[in-house]
Amino acid sequence: MPSPLELLQQQFTASAIGEADPALVGGIRGGGKLTPAEAVEVYRNAYPARMTEALGETFEACWRMLGDEDFLEACKVYARSVPSQSHNLSDYGSSFPEFLLNRFRSHAPFIGDLGCLEWSFKELFHAAPHAGLTPENLSVAVKSNSVLIFGSAVKLLSFNHKVDGLWKRDRSDDSPLNRSDWEGREQVLLYKSGGTPVFSRTLAAPEASTLRSLFEGRPLDQALAAAEGLDEAAARNLFQFLSEAGIVVEVRNP
Amino acid sequence: MKRDAAGREANVGVGLRSAHFPALLGRPRTRVRWFEAISENYMDSEGRPLEVLKKIREDYPLALHGVSLSIGGVEGPRPGYLEKLKRLIARVDPFVVSDHLCFTGAHASNVHDLLPLPYTEEAIRTVVANVSRVQDFLGRPIALENVSSYLTYNASEMKEEEFLVAIAKRSGCKILLDVNNVYVSASNHGFKAEAYVDAIPSELIAQLHLGGYSDMGNFLFDTHSRAPTDPVWDLYRRVIRRVPDVPVLIEWDEAIPNWEGLETEAVKAIGIAAEVYALPA
Repeated sequence: MPSPLELLQQQFTASAIGEADPALVGGIRGGGKLTPAEAVEVYRNAYPARMTEALGETFEACWRMLGDEDFLEACKVYARSVPSQSHNLSDYGSSFPEFLLNRFRSHAPFIGDLGCLEWSFKELFHAAPHAGLTPENLSVAVKSNSVLIFGSAVKLLSFNHKVDGLWKRDRSDDSPLNRSDWEGREQVLLYKSGGTPVFSRTLAAPEASTLRSLFEGRPLDQALAAAEGLDEAAARNLFQFLSEAGIVVEVRNP
Repeated sequence: MKRDAAGREANVGVGLRSAHFPALLGRPRTRVRWFEAISENYMDSEGRPLEVLKKIREDYPLALHGVSLSIGGVEGPRPGYLEKLKRLIARVDPFVVSDHLCFTGAHASNVHDLLPLPYTEEAIRTVVANVSRVQDFLGRPIALENVSSYLTYNASEMKEEEFLVAIAKRSGCKILLDVNNVYVSASNHGFKAEAYVDAIPSELIAQLHLGGYSDMGNFLFDTHSRAPTDPVWDLYRRVIRRVPDVPVLIEWDEAIPNWEGLETEAVKAIGIAAEVYALPA
């Protein structure tokens, strides 16, 4: 049996997220000229507005792609159906990309992938920067059978649609999207390079495959041997990028 | 620079918002003496926000102000919250750690709002138990802020100021007196704002907040979307005369002005305090 305070807190929380509880409305007086029901509405209306603001900050590109009407309505529906469980408002929305995809699959099939990219960016934005090896130290340490250890602020993402370009699209560009803007798979590397800014780089499939092998801890020679379609020049370019991006923090040699 | 005969100038700070990061990193000359950071914005971040916070801490004292402690919640603070807060405190060494006298949800759901408590003995016991746990864990006192409210409970057994003071006295916590919130709630619920602030013992006040509300026509809404209004400045005059050394904060969260615009309000708070200090005792 909940105490009066516990019951009130359950009723108020449920009323803010969902429908106003008549028991709560019956136990209060409205402030100003508000009726009790109107006073509860103040809190009910503030809740989706606050959650929408948080979702809008994290999923800014999804907002631009969908437009105000669709995005804001989606936020409102999501807020009413998925309560926040964190003390941190910016943690809200981990399942929002999937929610958007289910809602807008027919005319924006890329929206789930774009949302995942934005969520990953948000996570990496708050991740601790790592101190990567300098290109000089890396080239001295690395052998053909070295295992490369990557920093924590690195994410390799694989998407069914091309979303990096949509994410970086100029905010003032309101020209309609073509299917060619999003059709096709895409591999994106998000990373910090010593400092706090987050960078992104799209990778060709062989590059991504090689990188994934390296992330899994396979020695360099094995990862390169397993890569299909990665010619010598491409391998050299990939290693040069790894070296300059500062995402390798340690080299382990047998 | 306005000071009283003792050379005193009000200790005025402003809420730290990311919109002002570029201006602040340029290390402007300013009469703003400290900043208040929203704890949750930095507790879970090891990235750019924390980097900026540490840089600002090199030049200014900081206060930490939370919005999700849910000190009035029957379930108490959420798991992991206090550990993260303690780690942040260790990093920036704030001179005040505060949150709101409210609850923010139930059954693990957080509505991210400052929901008012009923002014009952049960609520006092709940808050006091939570404050004791928090203060024991953090190893320091906290301050609790009175919130603006848009409803009152039929079940309340006392006035809000009696509730607030009882909690502070029984738990050992301090009071962050939000002058704007007093005015908003007084207007909404028809009590005397002056009587409310006069009922708060000076020795319990750790900090003052000043902000702007929105007049919605049928109630006042605590939006922090504008400068403090004249009635709030009047109430501030009344309080700062009694607690001249207490840190004062200008809060602005929506329609945030540029740095100079925010600083103007801080300078105004300093000027009003100087006028008050100059009055005969």
